[in-house]
Amino acid sequence: MRDKAWYPVLYMFIATAFFSSILIGLARFSRDRVEANQRLSVEKAVLEALPIELPREASSLELHRIFLERVTGPSAASGNAYVLLEGDEVAAYAVPLEGKGYWDTIRGFIGIASDKNAVTGISFYEQNETPGLGAEIVQPPFRNQFVGKRIAEGDRPLGFRPAGSALEESEVHAITGATQTSTRVEKIINEDLAGWRSGLRSNGDSGS
Amino acid sequence: MSVVKEGLWDNNPIFRQVLGICSALAVTNLVLNTAVMCFALTWTTALSCLTVSLLREWTPHRIRMMVQTLIIAFYVILVDLALKAYWPEMSRNLGPYVGLIITNCIIMGRCEAFARSNPPGKSFLDGLFSGLGYSFVLLMVAVVRELLGMGTILGVPMPYFSTLWDKWIIMVMPPGAFFTLACLIWIFRSIRSGEEEKSV
Amino acid sequence: MSLTTELWQVLVVCFSAIFTGNILLTTFLGMCPFLAVSRQVKASVGLGFAVVFVMTFTSLLNWLAYRYVLVPMELEFFRFILFIIIIATFVQFVEMVLERYSPVLYQNLGIFLPLITVNCAILGASLFMVIREYTLPVTVGYGFGSGVGWMLAIVAMAGIRQQMAVERVPKGLQGPGITLIIAGLMALGFIGFTGVLQGS
Repeated sequence: MRDKAWYPVLYMFIATAFFSSILIGLARFSRDRVEANQRLSVEKAVLEALPIELPREASSLELHRIFLERVTGPSAASGNAYVLLEGDEVAAYAVPLEGKGYWDTIRGFIGIASDKNAVTGISFYEQNETPGLGAEIVQPPFRNQFVGKRIAEGDRPLGFRPAGSALEESEVHAITGATQTSTRVEKIINEDLAGWRSGLRSNGDSGS
Repeated sequence: MSVVKEGLWDNNPIFRQVLGICSALAVTNLVLNTAVMCFALTWTTALSCLTVSLLREWTPHRIRMMVQTLIIAFYVILVDLALKAYWPEMSRNLGPYVGLIITNCIIMGRCEAFARSNPPGKSFLDGLFSGLGYSFVLLMVAVVRELLGMGTILGVPMPYFSTLWDKWIIMVMPPGAFFTLACLIWIFRSIRSGEEEKSV
Repeated sequence: MSLTTELWQVLVVCFSAIFTGNILLTTFLGMCPFLAVSRQVKASVGLGFAVVFVMTFTSLLNWLAYRYVLVPMELEFFRFILFIIIIATFVQFVEMVLERYSPVLYQNLGIFLPLITVNCAILGASLFMVIREYTLPVTVGYGFGSGVGWMLAIVAMAGIRQQMAVERVPKGLQGPGITLIIAGLMALGFIGFTGVLQGS
């Protein structure tokens, strides 16, 4: 049988079918989990940018519950930002950030308070920057400096200055040694905040 | 037992033949990422060799390379799926490099050279120890890079290196990988030629 | 997106694929043939051209396959196998065409084609294209740029090694050791191109 001309073809066919079906089965099985993971990482990032008290060792399920209770989805009225609700009132916005980092796309959220001026926090759920350099943007030291800053009018809501220099209330320190990442993150934040503000304005919002 | 020593030292894939470094060198800036990568590679090599060996009586000679590729791809995709589902952050960190294990010359090399003409047990061990030999070198590179470049190992700050040491940023960037590997190869080959001279 | 912004994006991606994100010096792909063939400029140029050609077209074909076959059927994980099949088939096809219609070209380039099938850079470029979600025009620019970047690296390396053939290199460093160090220095040099083009 093994010498027949059709044997290799049959063998290849059976082998491919066998291995592929196992893989397809496993892929279907894990698909839901993969999508759930993605949604959870986005929700977690939204919560981290907003002025919410999160329990210290919160499980994914707890975070998901908090998200469902307190946050509503993006809409035209909110300029495509997630909105944190205090009862029926808008407490803060989580403006989506997206753009090209040094290596790959960076995605995150920046939280702006209901006065559309004060920054409540910043978070990143997708980045692939250099560990120890650009990747420091996800670490607390970099992110904490955003809390309490105020965004300026015009097309440069937040400015980045080299570490060690004095800062205005709409400026933060860049990461030493990660000039490229810092420059790009600055650009992403400014473009997306400006876009959000004009989105709010064009939706008949009176603005502040 | 000789199979063990062969894989780990004498015929260490990287030192001896400088094979298959592409896929893993890129992630050696962090020990954790390297460890996961090496696990994926060792898993794939060992199991692929085992499977190729089990099927060796049945596989027609002319299509054996395609079949080997299929088998290797199968095990790699398993790892990729598992990472995506259970450790998505690591999956993102490793990027395309997990998939590139399929083209890693080491695995195909072991399947061709050993697995297709040897019994399953020995083939599995051969694959396992080649994979471990490869992992051993890459982990050394990673330890050097993470320690000198960030002062940590596995994310844990190390006594002298995270405080007083002036971090070598270059270790965190691509050139650091080239230099570190070159030095390790230099050291290894010097030791080996010393051994060979002594036995002559 | 307007035509000019789209065109500019293609240009930036192409530039960064050649210089700042050089597929060999930054993402470490395509090292095996790089270390082996880079002894002579002539062979390197030949291999380089072949790589540019194959990389550009396979990136394009793989994009089409991914978008119109794998995604609709929800078989994204299958891309590893499908891309390899497409690459191998394409190379085989090109080899046949060359042999038939242009013996001259076949003599100069054709012999490198089998080497290319196992070049992880080719598969790597397609995998990166998927991860970075490039559009079709950007993919072509990226494939072309990556190929040119790889060629640039290997030709430069061959030139340097030819010069160095008359220098004294320590025994342990001969061969892959010194090549890796040169590669590291080149990688260092290429990093200097960062930011030259806005967004690169």
